[in-house]
Parts: sequence; C-alpha cells; structure tokens
Amino acid sequence: MKSTLGQQQIAAFFKEKEWTTFPFQKKTWDAYKAGKSGLIHAPTGTGKTYAVWAPALMEWIDEQEGRPLPKRPPKLRVLWITPLRALVEDTTRSLQELAEGLNLPWSIQARTGDTKSSMKASQRKKFPSCLVTTPESLSLLLSYPETKDAFSDLQAIVVDEWHELLSSKRGTQTELCLARLRKWNPALKSWALSATLGNLDTALSTLTGTHEDGVIINGDLKKKFIVQTIIPKNMEKFPWSGHLGGRMVEEVAKQIEQAQTTLVFTNVRSQTEYWHHALLSIRPEWQELLGIHHGSLSRKDRTEVENRLRAGTIKAVVCTSSLDLGVDFSPVEQVIQIGGPKGVARLLQRAGRCGHQPGAISRVFCVPTQAMELLEYAAARKAMEEKKMEERIPLRAPLDLLAQHLITLALAGGFQADETLREIRTAWSYRDLSDEEWAWALDFIIRGGKTLRAYDQFKRVVVINGLHHVESKLIGRFHRMSIGTITSDPAITVKFKTGKSLGTIEESFISRINPKSNFFFAGRLLKLERVRDLTAVVSPAKGGKGTIPVWGGGKSPLSSELAKAVQYQLQNAKAGKFENKEIKALAPTLRLQNEGSTLPSQNQFLIECTDTREGRNWFLFPFAGRLANEGLAALVSFRLSRKTPMTLSMAFNDYGFHLCSDSKIDISLEQWTEFLSPDQVVDELLGCMNLSEMSKRQFREVARVAGLLFQGYPGAQKSARQIQASGGLFFDVFAKYDPENLLLTQSRREVLERQLEIERISEKLQEIKQQELILHYPDRLTPFAFPLWAESQRTRVSTESWSERVSKMAKELENSSS
Amino acid sequence: MTKPVEITWQDEAFQLLPEKALFWEKEKTLFISDPHFGKAAAFRKAGIPVTEKTTVDDVEKLSQIISKTKTKRIVLLGDFIHARSSKIQVLRNLLFLWREEFRSLDLHLIRGNHDHNAGDPWPELGIQCHDEPWNEFKWQCRHYPLDYSNIPYFAGHLHPGFSLRGKGRDRMRSACFQINDSRIIFPAFGSFTGLKDIKPEKNDQLFLTNGEEIIALPATHSFVRSK
Repeated sequence: MKSTLGQQQIAAFFKEKEWTTFPFQKKTWDAYKAGKSGLIHAPTGTGKTYAVWAPALMEWIDEQEGRPLPKRPPKLRVLWITPLRALVEDTTRSLQELAEGLNLPWSIQARTGDTKSSMKASQRKKFPSCLVTTPESLSLLLSYPETKDAFSDLQAIVVDEWHELLSSKRGTQTELCLARLRKWNPALKSWALSATLGNLDTALSTLTGTHEDGVIINGDLKKKFIVQTIIPKNMEKFPWSGHLGGRMVEEVAKQIEQAQTTLVFTNVRSQTEYWHHALLSIRPEWQELLGIHHGSLSRKDRTEVENRLRAGTIKAVVCTSSLDLGVDFSPVEQVIQIGGPKGVARLLQRAGRCGHQPGAISRVFCVPTQAMELLEYAAARKAMEEKKMEERIPLRAPLDLLAQHLITLALAGGFQADETLREIRTAWSYRDLSDEEWAWALDFIIRGGKTLRAYDQFKRVVVINGLHHVESKLIGRFHRMSIGTITSDPAITVKFKTGKSLGTIEESFISRINPKSNFFFAGRLLKLERVRDLTAVVSPAKGGKGTIPVWGGGKSPLSSELAKAVQYQLQNAKAGKFENKEIKALAPTLRLQNEGSTLPSQNQFLIECTDTREGRNWFLFPFAGRLANEGLAALVSFRLSRKTPMTLSMAFNDYGFHLCSDSKIDISLEQWTEFLSPDQVVDELLGCMNLSEMSKRQFREVARVAGLLFQGYPGAQKSARQIQASGGLFFDVFAKYDPENLLLTQSRREVLERQLEIERISEKLQEIKQQELILHYPDRLTPFAFPLWAESQRTRVSTESWSERVSKMAKELENSSS
Repeated sequence: MTKPVEITWQDEAFQLLPEKALFWEKEKTLFISDPHFGKAAAFRKAGIPVTEKTTVDDVEKLSQIISKTKTKRIVLLGDFIHARSSKIQVLRNLLFLWREEFRSLDLHLIRGNHDHNAGDPWPELGIQCHDEPWNEFKWQCRHYPLDYSNIPYFAGHLHPGFSLRGKGRDRMRSACFQINDSRIIFPAFGSFTGLKDIKPEKNDQLFLTNGEEIIALPATHSFVRSK
C-alpha cells in the first residue's frame, strides 16, 4: 500500500528521532485510517500514546491534499480523556512534542478543574485542536448549548487508562458522554488505551457502545517480567500476622541503594507513613531524598514529588496506588512491592514502571510483612506467566448517574424523551435499561419522584412540547458546580499554624489523639495543638514517638484470580511439591499448620475451633478476599445468632473470617452445613443490620451523584448554605417517606455488589456445598488462625436494642477510661 | 411517648424528653430548639427533591407532646423557620391549622440566625419574638451558646451530636443534650436537620436520644434525679 503524505512525514520524524515504530503501532495506524475504533492494551505504557496520536495528525495532513498547511490551528478534532488531573499536563506536553516536531499549527490545551477561569472562558469561545481533559470536565462541557457546534469537526476521542475508569462511575459517565458525541457524529472514532485486564471484550464494548465494532490491539512488547521475593533471613521469627513488616526495613533500604530511583509501593496509606518513617530512621541521610505520596496528602506535596520523580532528583518514593497511573511519563529504575500484591494485573502494572529501555527487564522486588504473603508472590508469578488477569466489571445502569446526565442534557438545549432513551441505550452499561427505570429517572428529574407530587412549585427539568429542559438559572448553576461522581469523605484538614495544609486525616483517627501528643503524617512527626471544626492545627514535633495514622477505607481485597492461585500453591505444598523459593521458605510454617489442624485440599473446607481467654473461636477459610469474607462473616453470624441467642465478635481478612463467642457453644458439622447454605443469601444479608448501615454510607455517593448534595464552594453565599444536608440525612428521609425510591435500591445494590462482592459470596457458598466440611479442634492457634485472632478491627453482631447497645458501649468507655 | 429522664438543674426539676424537648412541669413550659420548619422547601427551590413531610411529622410530634404534657407555654430557642424560601403556602397552611388547634398556647421565639434570614413568623401565629438573651426565667434563653457565662442559660444552634465508639469499628452517632452546671445545649428538634459532632467538656453530662429513647451517659457529676 502506497503510504500517504501524512504517513511519510511521521515516518521521517520518527527516523530523525531514532524512535522505532512498533508493529502494534502500525496496526493501530491502519485501523484508525480505516475509520475504526479500538482498544490498545499493554502492561507498560511505551508507545500507546503515539499509536493513536500519530494517525490523528496524519489524517489532518492528508486532508490538506498536498496544499501548503494552514497557519491557523484547526477547529477541535481530538478529545483526549485522562482520569487524573496530574496526568493531564504530562499528556499535553507529550502530544505537543509530536505536533510541534512535525511543524503543525495544532494547538493542544488542557482543561480541568485547575484550569484558570480566564483560560476556560477563552477555550469555550474557541477550542484548541486537541483538548486534554477529564471525564468530569467533558461532562461539564456537554452541559453548554454551544458545545455541539464547537465539536462539529471532532474526529476522534481517546480515553487513557481505560481499565482504571471502566469499573467506576467515572467510566460509566464517560460512556454516556461518548453516546452523546456519537449521536452528533456517528463516524466518530473512539480509542482506549488500557493496561492488561481479563475481559478485553467488555472493555472494548463499553468504549464503542452497542452499535459499533472495534478492534483489540495487543500493545505488549513482550517484555520480561520477574517477580523476585526478598525472603526473610530468619523465617522462624518471621510473624504470621501484621502489616508493618518492621523486620524487613534494612533489606528494603539495601535494595533502594541498588538503583537510582525506586518506587516503594505499599497497600494502604498508614503503611506508607510507617515505611517512610522507618526508612528515615535507619537512613537519616535520606531526609531530602526520600519522598512520600498518597491520596490524603496535599496536592502541593504530591505535585512536588511527581515533579521530582520526572526530573530524577529523588531517590525513592514510598507510595500507594496513588502512583499506579502515569506509567508513560516517569519510569523508574526499580520497583518494590511491600505486602501482598492483592491482584495479578496490579503487580504486573507496577512492575511495568521500570525496565523501559529496550531489552530491559521489568522486575518487582516483593517484601513480605507476614508469612502468608510469600504464598501470594509465588501465586502471582504463576498467574502472570499464565496471563490470568483480573476482570474489571463495569457498573450496571447506575440511575444516580443517569439523572445527573439527563439534567446535563436538559441544560444544553434540552432533549426529547424517546430519542434520548435510544441514545442512552447505546451505552453498553445502559443497554438493558428497563422502561420502568427510564420512567423513574424522568419522573425524578422533573417532579422529584413520587413523594413530591403535591408540590407543583418544584421545578427542576421542565417539559414543553416534549422538550425536557432547565429554565432556572439557579438550578443550572448548582448543577454545573456539582457535576462529577467523585465524593470526598468528610475529613479533617491538617494544617500548620502558619496555614500551610499538609493533607487530610480521618476524624476517627484524630479523635483518639490527645492534644500535645505526637503523630506521623505526610512524612513528618507532628504535635497536635488543637482540633476545631474540620481542622487539626499542628506544629512540628521535636522528636520521639508518634502514632501512625489509620485510614478506614480503600483496602483492596485479594482478587479471585490470585486467591485461586494461592490455593493452588497450597495444594502443591500439601502434595509435598516445593517448587519455588517462597514455598520452600514457608515449609516449616505450613508443616505447623498441618500438625495443628490441616492443610485443606481442593475438595475440603476447613473449620477450626479453638478456645482462648476470650471465649470460643471459630475460624473458617473460604479464601474469598476480605470483602466477601466480611459478608460471609456477617451472614454466618446472623444465621448463628438467629438459632441461638449469643453475642459474637467477628473479624476477617483475605483468607477467612473469625467468630468469637463468650459462651462455649457447640456447633456440629450438620449445623455448619446449614449455616453455610447458599440459599436465601441476599434476603438474609439484607436482614443484617450491618447492611443497612453500609447502605446508608454508600447512599452518600448516590445522593451526591444524583444532585441531592450541594458540594458548595469556598465563600458560598447564604443561599447555598441553606441547602446543605448530608447523605445520611437524605437516606433517613427517603427510607421513611419514599422507600421504593430507586436510589435507595441502587445504594443497597452497590453495597451488595461492590462492598460485599455478593456474587463472589454466592459462588463461594456453592463451592463449599460441594466440598467436604472438616472440623478441627487445635489446642493452640494455628498459623492460619492466628492472623484472624490478632486482627484488631472487629465488629460486634448484636440483636440488642438501641438503648442496650448505647448502655453497653457507654459502660465500656467508662471501664476503659478508669 | 416513651420515658423521659428526670433531671435537677439549677435547683429546678426538668424532664428531658426523647423527642428532643425539655419540659418544666412547675410552670407547664416546654422548651425546644432548632425546629427548622420548612427546610425541605429551600431544597426544592434549588431543584433538590425533598418532601415536606418531615415538617408535617415534626408538627405532629409537637402536637402530641403538647397534648401529653398539657403544656401551656412553648419557648423556641431559635431557627423556627429555615429560610425565606420556606415561607410558602404549604407551610403557612400547616402552621395556621396547628395554631388553630392550640389557640391558647403562649408562644415565644428567641431569634436565631435562620430567623434573621427568614424574617419573623407570620404575625397571625401570635408568636412573641425576642432577641437574645431573654431574661424571663432564672436562666437566660439564647440561641447561640457562649464560651463562658456566669449566668446560667439554655441555648441551641449547635445541633449537638455525639459519636460513641466501641470496640473495633463500632460506632453509634446520636443527637444529645449537652448539660453542665452553667448551661444546657439542646439537640435540634427538626428531623430534617444534621448533627454536628461535639466533644464533651470536663463537667458535661450528655443525654443521647434517637427520637424514641433517651439515655444519660455516666458522668463525674450526674444531673439525673435519683428516685
């Protein structure tokens, strides 16, 4: 095929820069030229950006048909969506580099919540040729009537880090925006850049919608990935439980010294603070060279670390998944993973942060903080070899988002119901949207739902001649300010007396710190001066000890894929096959487990019963990940306490759960079979008190997205302050006066599906039904049981009344303070 | 109406009602704070769909307390009507009908921040409005609490809530009365109101209520009247 002028120019430029053109890039260029949409997936970032950007530029060059290039930037042709504001700048620069290198007059600009309002205003008058923005900002743009015209030349939309967006409401929001853009231009090409995931077909469908086919292109450069575990020297003394891994600090420091730049990934924010402090304690000379990065730090601090990483002026950064994205832009020399990897794809992606030079290996050094994590590393390695990646499941037709999107459309000039329903149904996640759900959504945005029938002054969306639109400027203003799906948790801002903000911390943590006491945060030792409203004022502490802060949410569960792989490793150990270093190191521990109770085989389900000072303990090991295990614990407790009145305390981790009763009750195998039955699971879970509390918390997000919560802005006028209310408050009002409200149903469903992984629970119980239940009575806590027994986060299951619970808790408070 | 808690404060006997009200038997006077009637209307004006049934239920709840206690006078410690945008026909009719039923009640309102915005209630309701402090009794009636006062007082405004934390992640958050020797801070009477977490001070005693039951938390100095 004769190459076009555009292709020639690109080829020449690449040659000049000594860049290779990879086969997958060529494939993409051909597909793009043929007008196709597609998804490019690869574990590392190299080359994905230009795979899609180059053909977009080529297309424009070819359109000029050999004439001299216009001097003025063409009207908007490409939208580039990226999930993080931090990545928007990097992306913009990268795109500019190629366009400028080819001497094209294209203007490429960023647009996010951070963009100056003067810039935003001028952009809306005349958009750049390529706009780099976030899903929220795109949604906001779609709320203006002028946007349709401004986007009339749009050729392509590129969505970066699609795997990340896909399974969240932000991804669903992107789908709805894409459906609208496609309505305006059916020939629009949509391209997604994604990391490896287990369900590529779904990932493609969510991008292209129901009407289109796309291509899936493998951007894998066949790099070699190595999972290398740092085995603890003294396995006998290595703890069976815990998350902090203090014994391994020296090993990690030595490993950091081996490379120029290192990313040290931990699983939760408190571990990040702990490790940053621990490393500095043994390497004080790293004061300026060791960075810290996680989601609760101030944006200023995070940006500084990101800049230093890019510039290569930092030796190591201790971080959470906050640095999982942005692979393309700041490769490092070395990656260390502390603690369990939780997922195969995640480990692969983190390993991919290094080894970007041709022929280099992407290696991740794994540092266990407790014994069983050794198993996880071996399991992850095997799963990576077999390419068994986790799937990312998109949300199913969230109605809160639909309501928000419909008001956006209503603001932008209005919509007609029937044709818009057809448009919404072209979005993959809404393909099965029922007529009832649609009717409910329309009723909600027009009349406010069933309970508001009596109030004819209520006007949100107004219908005239079938056109649904918004008349009130006030409503328009409030809506635009609230667009988005990100709900920030109420948090305490940590500030120095001077006013410098360090980030946020949870109220539950700060409430336990006495004034004048020390705690660690943002990599510093701080003294708490006082807490007023939502601010904690601190001063730098002189020295000494400090508490490590804890954040409640955000612990990823062990994925099913990894859990299966872990069980496979255990089977091998049981059969006497010790095929890797990790299993060999764990052999003594596994032998202890076998002696104390047993190593369960594939068709066995193990239940251990041990008496301790606290009472009678049962340990069950479904290996279902912490979320599903929590649900299973709640379900089993509910069934247990329904049979016999008792007080149970429960705890859970990725491998199993623990129930403790202060009375020595006997439970037979037959009874356990009953308690583990897969029947009536949803109904009984719904009956658990825990679930309604969780639904109330989840409702915050739903209320926010559906536009019930006014987020506000600094210096809000009085009128704004009068409409502040919390999600919990709305939950109570709806639960009482509008219990059929589909938003309530949605938050319940989200709790079941997302927070408890109801499908995983059901599958597990079906599996257990086919297995042989074995009951062991070890004298002492086994290596499997111990971590559960030591788990500090417990909840109590009670059928007590409100006043009984309050009295009990008040008494405990009294006892503990005296 | 479930059991109130009997307390002694400033040598007077009071009943703390779980419905978030304080009843003074001796002078048949009921004290409540922060009803925020018509709050939902302000939300509806901004396009947020909330039913006004919360106000209807709150007025009904008030009627039941009046009938049960046979109170002759009600003192409202501020924030009677939520906002100017709340003063719509729906609310007017509701309150007028209620007033008709309890025509002989002596009604007083201490103006709070929301009242300054909404304006005084409809004059037909016959509510006497006072700026704080109102010195009718041995103690002052205020809307805003003070950092320090040598004259005892009642106040509202804060919508106090307390989080009881138990083992692990157990937590129960409820509205409460915050009482010490020099002042009583009232919980918000209105049901469509939020809670603001408070930290009890040294000589405080908290009384938690969920609307149906009220419990005194143990304290170094208890105000609960022993039988």
